[in-house]
Parts: sequence; structure tokens; C-alpha cells
Amino acid sequence: MITSRDPLPSALGLLTVFIALASLYLHLNAPLVAIFQVTIYAGAILVLVVFVIMLLMTPGERFGERQHNVSYRILGAILSFCTMILIGLGLKGIYDLVGEQTLPEGFGNPGQFGYLFFNNFLLHFEVASVLLLVALIGAIYIAKKKL
Amino acid sequence: METVTLNHYIILSSILFGLGIIGFVTRRNALIVFMSVELMLNAVNLMLVAFSRFRADLSGQVMVLFIYTVAAAEVAVGLALLISLFRHMRTVDLTKFNILKG
Repeated sequence: MITSRDPLPSALGLLTVFIALASLYLHLNAPLVAIFQVTIYAGAILVLVVFVIMLLMTPGERFGERQHNVSYRILGAILSFCTMILIGLGLKGIYDLVGEQTLPEGFGNPGQFGYLFFNNFLLHFEVASVLLLVALIGAIYIAKKKL
Repeated sequence: METVTLNHYIILSSILFGLGIIGFVTRRNALIVFMSVELMLNAVNLMLVAFSRFRADLSGQVMVLFIYTVAAAEVAVGLALLISLFRHMRTVDLTKFNILKG
């Protein structure tokens, strides 16, 4: 996904990643999250991204040129390598800490999910709705013709 | 056949996160940088769901829903900013955006 030169094939690669992650969520007893992954990410967000790509793609411009600054490229490689190593080092300890619990009956079904969502996380839910409203108003204001 | 454990999910998630970092730092196209941020968010989501499964605690899946909210807000505002910038500068190349240099 990050190697293609054009943004559009890159977006399609991202779509593949999203669908694959949705199937992994199904395997992890999270059907509701899988559905949200497909509808929100693959449906809404990616369509928005593709729309903007189509809007901004001007013929003749060289898209997807790589970073000429070599230090940035080396920095990226080092950063990602260090992150992977760091997470890899903690693997054993995490597994000892968490282990594998046996799942209770009906784990992850939408009813249980909704019960937890609207009891323990009600305040978070309200804050998230306010955040979405603010983002909506902000996006409309920023994308206006005259700022 | 060996069963899939938590470690496999953590390794996959860290690889996804690392790829996101590589894309974020090394690309110049602002759209691809945005998509790399999405990739990193998805890596975190996968980790949350995996922990939620292996700890048998449903809170992780609820957290994923809030991450979706934040991602949607971020994409809306970010793409609006990008359109606004494109209208001024006629490019989405991040190395050309030096108007904040003062």
C-alpha cells in the first residue's frame, strides 16, 4: 500500500487491508466491529479519500514522487524497525500477563456490546457525538470557497 | 495445526503499525500520508480487539468504536484542510508547503 506511486492504487490497497482486518475481527469473536469496519472504514472513509483523490488529481502532475531527502527515508525505516523490535520484545511478558481466558457464553454479540456501551461508556458516547458535530462544522467551514 | 495465539496478532499489528510509520515519514503526497495514519489507527484497533478477545473483556471492542469516531472526524477535517490548501497552492506535495515557515 505504501509502495505504489499513485494515490489511487494505494487507496485500493488500503481497501484490501480493511477487508482483511474485518475478517480477522470475525475470527476474534467481534462481529459488530467487523461490520463497523466494513461500513465505516471501507464504506465511508475510503470513499471520501477516493473522492478527494479524484478531485485533486491534475493531469500532467507527477504524483507520488518519493521523498528526496534521504535522511527522512532512513528515519522512517529506523522508526518502524524500532517499533517492531520494541513490541516484539514485550511479547513473552504480555502473553504471560494476559494468557488466554475462556470466553463466556455469547461473548461479543451485539446485545452485550450495546449493554456495555450504553451503561459504562455513556459519557464517552456523548463526548464522541459532540466531537463528530464539531468536526462536521469545522470541515464545512474549512472547505468553504472563501475562508 | 498450531493455533493462533495473541502473539500472532501482536506481531501482525506491529508490522502494520511499522508500515504506517514508513509511509507517514517517507512519502511526500499528502493523501498517502493520510492513508498511512489510517493504517496506524487500524493497527491499534486490531491490537485492542485481540486483547479484548484473549482477556474475555468486551471493553476493548467499545474502545474501537471510539477510535472509529476519532478517525472519521480526523479524515473529514484533514481532507477539508487538504482541499483548502490545494486551492491555494495547486499541489498536494508536502515538501512544497512552506508557508508556515515565517
